[in-house]
Amino acid sequence: MKMLPSSLMNKHWKWGIFILLALTILLLPLPAQSAQASEKYIQIQASSYEYNPGVVRVKPGERVTLELTSTDVTHGIYIDGYNLEVIAEPGQTQTLSFVADQTGTFRLRCSVTCGALHPFMTGKLQVGTNALLWKSIAIAALGIAVVIWTVRT
Amino acid sequence: MHEVLPLNAEHSTRWILIGLALGLLLAIFLVRSFGSGQAIEVHAKMPEQGGWTPSDLAATAGQPLHLRLTSDDVLHGFAIGQSDQPPVDVEPGKMTELTLNFDQPGKYTYYCTRWCGPNHWRMRGTIEVQPDLNKPGAAASQSSQPEAEPLFIQMGVDIDGQPHTDRIPPDRPNARRGQALDTSLPEKYLAEEYYRTHSPVEVWESLRNEAFTQSYSDQQVWDLVAWIWRQGTSPAKLADGQMLFAQNCAACHGEMGAGDGVMAEAVAAEYASSGHGPAGPIDFTDPHRNLATSPVIQQGKIIRGGMGTGMPYWGPIFTEEQIWALVDYLWTFQFEY
Repeated sequence: MKMLPSSLMNKHWKWGIFILLALTILLLPLPAQSAQASEKYIQIQASSYEYNPGVVRVKPGERVTLELTSTDVTHGIYIDGYNLEVIAEPGQTQTLSFVADQTGTFRLRCSVTCGALHPFMTGKLQVGTNALLWKSIAIAALGIAVVIWTVRT
Repeated sequence: MHEVLPLNAEHSTRWILIGLALGLLLAIFLVRSFGSGQAIEVHAKMPEQGGWTPSDLAATAGQPLHLRLTSDDVLHGFAIGQSDQPPVDVEPGKMTELTLNFDQPGKYTYYCTRWCGPNHWRMRGTIEVQPDLNKPGAAASQSSQPEAEPLFIQMGVDIDGQPHTDRIPPDRPNARRGQALDTSLPEKYLAEEYYRTHSPVEVWESLRNEAFTQSYSDQQVWDLVAWIWRQGTSPAKLADGQMLFAQNCAACHGEMGAGDGVMAEAVAAEYASSGHGPAGPIDFTDPHRNLATSPVIQQGKIIRGGMGTGMPYWGPIFTEEQIWALVDYLWTFQFEY
């Protein structure tokens, strides 16, 4: 069996490390969050054409109660992915309770035709940390490191 | 074989044409008898853009009125005042079919049930229901039931005063404590027309001068007042009133009646800009004003509205029982039941 030149062998070995690192980043689960069932109460004010707060962050498995108050006309919230809906009239605060059993980022959209800019009345429900974002950043950083290393050698 | 085919084709063409002609006749017949040819299309727009079009509808008692409702902008609702007809939503891009039946002739008000904009409550229209002249006795039934005038008009009370009292109970009057005193109240105080036409302060002063209250503290007399008010209503009426308040009043008067609803600031600003002094929705938790107000004044305000203050008039919308249920509920912001 013929030995490969040591320089080439070295190069392959380093590529192997990079691939291994990339796989680790992709497959390694993020630090697990406390899985115990906790309660989260969030008040959301809806006005034409925004939600305040616009981004709702909850932990996976949490029991979430959204309290929707409308300040001008009838508004609603529809949570994509969860397929839940709540509608609030001004003066009639309504609540929506659910268990955040799906992780990821979900679009909140107004479910009541409330005016000209109604299609743009959206918000976000974020369940758990945004794993995709952090993994993408890590992979991108790794890629930059590889490029720098390749250029220098 | 080749000669037969054109004959067959001619035959089938003939049958197809006959079928088409018959189908057309059938379609015309079906549309005329069951279609929406009779229906009136009503378009809903925000009040600033014109409200309901057409806003005045006509119908005949005993005959169905078909409506096709749609919205040209945002979500609206459709309901008829003083009727049991459940409200329906009127959505853009959708036709809501509705068939109404009026037993009694008269003038009905229909109104928007979804908050569609700051002037939502102005979005109203009328349905003029004529008596069915083909029916014997139909014209007579119209005049057989003259409507009684509401209490505030019968009494001629001034509903535009600024009631105020400085005689404030040390503690929130509590009907249960009043009941626990186990006083046999004179009949006069428990009569409906008595408590509805007097303010709590007047009742308190009258009770205070009675011989049987001489051993009571001022607070105990207040508790008796709350007990009198509680006996004038029932949990069912209070629940009705609470629902009506939440749907129609809370947006301005606040969900807890404190005059701090989500619309309160806008209403106050509009009133001020119209050259009047500062005024906003009434705070029902303020004892200075409310303990000097009698239920009949509140009835009048609800029926007639605020005349320029932004308070709508509900006379054509609510029934008399609904208005009294609402008035009863308003007192839960002052009294503990």
